Amino acid sequence: MASAKKADRETHAWVVVPLFNEAEVIGSVIEDLTQHFKHVVCVDDGSSDNSAAIAHQAGARVLRHPLNLGQGAALQTGFDYVSAQKGATHVVTFDADGQHLVSDALEMLELARRKRISVMFGSRFLDKRSKPGLKKRMVLKVAVLMTRAITGLRLTDAHNGLRVLSMEAIGKVRLEQNGMSHASEIVHQLAKAKLSWREYPVEVLYTEYSRRKGQSLLNSINIVIDLLVR
Amino acid sequence: MLSQWVLLAALVLAGVYLLKAKRSASQQAFRRLFILGAIFAGAGAVLNPDLTNVVAGWLGIGRGADLLLYSFVIFALFYVVHQYRRQLWQEKVTTDLARALTLTRAALEDSQRKD
Repeated sequence: MASAKKADRETHAWVVVPLFNEAEVIGSVIEDLTQHFKHVVCVDDGSSDNSAAIAHQAGARVLRHPLNLGQGAALQTGFDYVSAQKGATHVVTFDADGQHLVSDALEMLELARRKRISVMFGSRFLDKRSKPGLKKRMVLKVAVLMTRAITGLRLTDAHNGLRVLSMEAIGKVRLEQNGMSHASEIVHQLAKAKLSWREYPVEVLYTEYSRRKGQSLLNSINIVIDLLVR
Repeated sequence: MLSQWVLLAALVLAGVYLLKAKRSASQQAFRRLFILGAIFAGAGAVLNPDLTNVVAGWLGIGRGADLLLYSFVIFALFYVVHQYRRQLWQEKVTTDLARALTLTRAALEDSQRKD
């Protein structure tokens, strides 16, 4: 990707990166982001490795949770922080593990602005670029069907960490699911808010590193129960 | 049989408690009344063991020992549900506290940077 001059960097959209023990990859993720975004906020969720220090060195504004709360909690902390900043128009959520492309985020942001769309969800199933394995595909399919059943929003990809949200949308979101169920929760709350939304095809890079982490099929049961019992 | 209705109602109630309960003073009062009742019923059963057989008979349960077992299972279920809800609430409090700390620290750092 061509690196933009500092003056050309995006200044009104803030990137929020929830971070938990990603020392191996976070440095390059933040460096990629800061080439194109002036404001990159990394919410370190009590990492036990030196992720936070690496992110700071790479140029992110690092907020630190005093203990590990979960990815949903880290996102919400980031949302609260950006809400208090002057001049912010959008929040871009971006995973710390190097799965997303900065170019996808920039395209989504551009489209959100041009067409005045409040909520842009990244989806890996709208084109053929991403190549999840069979098991991963099944897990995601179940998650999509459940998210549709619970939220009524017909998304093709339920658990994609790349999103572009207007500040109006951020104001309508209050994540209470600290763990991984926040991905369905955020869709649920945004669906209720009746804002304009769209899915956008993005590529998810399946590296050896990200393959080691994925979610299991049984976890979708946890997500349903988390959303019902609260 | 009466006991079946009572037991089913108790199970449904446990489910409702799991899904819908809000923390409220009246709920706490109900719990305390229930515990007081259980203490008196227990004392009664200790002083007059045949009492459990009599009550079991009213409900259509064969023996007093069975009545005690059923009551115990239901009580245990409510206890588990109650503790689970408490834990959810505690997690929320911890999260709010940790977030407030994080944001306060961040605001402080930001203001120092500007000075």
